[in-house]
Amino acid sequence: MAFNYENYLRLEKMPTLWCWGCGDGVILKAFVRAIDSLGINKDDVCVVSGIGCSGRFSSYVDFNTVHTTHGRTIAFATGIKLANPTKHVICVAGDGDALAIGGNHTIHGCRRNIDITFIIINNFIYGLTNSQTSPTTPQGMWTVSQQAGNIDPTFNVANLAIAAGASFVARETVNDPKKLEKTMVKALEHKGFALLEVLSNCHINLGRKNKMNSAIENLSWIDSITVSKKKYETLAPEEQMNLFPTGILKQDTEAAEYCDMYAEVIKVHQGKRKTITQDDFKKKI
Amino acid sequence: MSKFRTQNPGNQPVWVNTSNCKACDICVSVCPSGVLGMVYEPTSTLGAMISIQHPEACIGCMECELACPDFAIFVAEKGEFKFAKLTDESKTRQAAVVANKYRSLSEKGAI
Amino acid sequence: MATREVISNGNELSALAARDAGCKFFGGYPITPSSEIMHEMSDLMPEVGGACIQMEDEIAGVAAAIGAGMSGVRTMTATSGPGISLKAENLGLAQMTEVPLVVVNVMRGGPSTGLPTRVSQGDVAQAKNPSHGDYKSITLCAGSLAECYTETVRAFNLADRFMQPVFVLLDETIGHMHGKAVLPTQEDVAAGIVPRKVFEGPADQYFPYGCEHDQPAVLNPMFQGYRYHFTGLHHDGRGFPTEEIETCRKLIQRLEDKVELHKDEIELNEELFLDDAEVLIVAYGSVSLAAKEAIRHLRAEGIKAGLFRPITLWPSPQDRMRELAARIPKVLCVELNIGQYRDEVQRATGRLDINGLFKVNGRPISPYEIVNKVKEL
Repeated sequence: MAFNYENYLRLEKMPTLWCWGCGDGVILKAFVRAIDSLGINKDDVCVVSGIGCSGRFSSYVDFNTVHTTHGRTIAFATGIKLANPTKHVICVAGDGDALAIGGNHTIHGCRRNIDITFIIINNFIYGLTNSQTSPTTPQGMWTVSQQAGNIDPTFNVANLAIAAGASFVARETVNDPKKLEKTMVKALEHKGFALLEVLSNCHINLGRKNKMNSAIENLSWIDSITVSKKKYETLAPEEQMNLFPTGILKQDTEAAEYCDMYAEVIKVHQGKRKTITQDDFKKKI
Repeated sequence: MSKFRTQNPGNQPVWVNTSNCKACDICVSVCPSGVLGMVYEPTSTLGAMISIQHPEACIGCMECELACPDFAIFVAEKGEFKFAKLTDESKTRQAAVVANKYRSLSEKGAI
Repeated sequence: MATREVISNGNELSALAARDAGCKFFGGYPITPSSEIMHEMSDLMPEVGGACIQMEDEIAGVAAAIGAGMSGVRTMTATSGPGISLKAENLGLAQMTEVPLVVVNVMRGGPSTGLPTRVSQGDVAQAKNPSHGDYKSITLCAGSLAECYTETVRAFNLADRFMQPVFVLLDETIGHMHGKAVLPTQEDVAAGIVPRKVFEGPADQYFPYGCEHDQPAVLNPMFQGYRYHFTGLHHDGRGFPTEEIETCRKLIQRLEDKVELHKDEIELNEELFLDDAEVLIVAYGSVSLAAKEAIRHLRAEGIKAGLFRPITLWPSPQDRMRELAARIPKVLCVELNIGQYRDEVQRATGRLDINGLFKVNGRPISPYEIVNKVKEL
């Protein structure tokens, strides 16, 4: 008996409509294994996805699921979470969804530190719509909207999330599913906004035109641009330049979580405590 | 047998669900022990299908199962099967499979 | 029925109504002239154990409200014209996924930034079709302080009955008007709450969108054992994406028919002095207050004017308007836009001689302007 994936998947939707070798499937698998290892009741989980290949993620998992509009996962999830603070709310979005059209919601989700787990599947391209430049497409790569080569600078997703105030920030790749699952467990366990960037492959719409013809070649490229956080820290700045560190990059367990603070707001309005002041927060400004 | 075939079909270290396999080659590429290989399959979209070529060499490392995006390959749990140890012969075979573009060695020249 | 007197303004009364109607969530973003609704909700929601959140933009405001609605609670957002423009896509998602939601729009001058602090009724056409695609809007329009309360309450019950967003149109004048309102008691409002339908059978027999051709989806609250899927894609009875021809057609037709075939449950009008009227004035919202005053003056001068005031703007009371227009010789639409509802009156009545008195400079229409216009007809 292998792991009982069937318990967590909508079997009638399988096989997935993702391309052969797509990292989305690896992340899907790591996700259900992580949920299982935490022993979370399926009824207590809500998965929210946006538009793009990753948008289909929610339709494959047997939880309460919502497939929203482009870029708005965090905004919808904020409503779901705030109305149901004891439940687990997980967002899944691609790099275009989470950082371009939905960039504003992403940074404000981080800022609020609301207890949502945000899995950003970063495959460096708009895959579903056939190869347009995304905010993470490396400069110099071919895209269908920049056929002379992409000149747009990129976001560093994890750094962005750290700066915006997310209390848990991690980066993993689909090359190491065991570590991915382990970090996903940590992200799900974390109380507060947990952003997990997963570097993934799109050999169909990024790879084919950029000398990575197969999933395996695309995955090797991801391998070549990532190092563990531990090793990254030993590198000189010029060596760090074209590399992404992987692992847990930030974990702050002290930061006030939004729903917890809202519970205090309710107490104020129900006459159970005095108004909230700066003293209620460790971080003042 | 369930739809996903997560149940061991009978004292196997590793088994596949060919109706879920999209023939991406990833499982073959991550196997350290030369257990797997792609074989010719004209009905598959990419003209290939995963196959277990050397089950006796499986070390139960789970790499293939976890790296498969499509729930098409499963590995027995520890204790459920007595797995082999990684040998030089297995490693050599794996290198040859990779060099053969993830095709099974027994099918060399068939495609 | 017992009543109570409250001194307040239109925006605050709308918020009060939301609380009394069992609303537990508000998501919004500051915008003049609707902000007081959010201010009030930020007090009222935590008081009843609900939540009010100011989001990072208009889009997120409605998205959070819809998210809460998906999870099963009564939910609301409030904004003004520019906000509706931004929320439009997600309002379409709420139509498609059939999530009940109350959207209060306190209208100001437009298009674009327009006249933020001044009155207009320029969002009437927008309320009919804010988002792309086919669906049927339900839009209510308050014509007095008391109606800011009662129409908001009605909007919550209609949203749960028809499982879709319901608009409540206020305008800057009525939203900021301060005065006495006679309201139903909180107990009577609570007793009148009709919550959304839920399915209570076994989960494997639950088809949230597998309903009759003229009925809304039956969406159980989340986290209670019925794990289903919301999607803005065309979907089947279980809520999963499909492109099956007949399923797609039925879904969109049902979004239309669930409202169109039950208009009688939604339609609400006020009629004044219409029995002997020779001039039919059609007005709604704050303009109807000026129209009522004008009609008193006209009647005193012997001119038989009467008022037809649609309280439900969409779906429009087309049958009633056709009946009235068939027997009353002169028809005048008075609006703070350039004839957005006159177009509908023309369409409904088949008459092309519908007169208009329109104003788009951000100022209200006075009773004397209406009196003078009627005399010119």
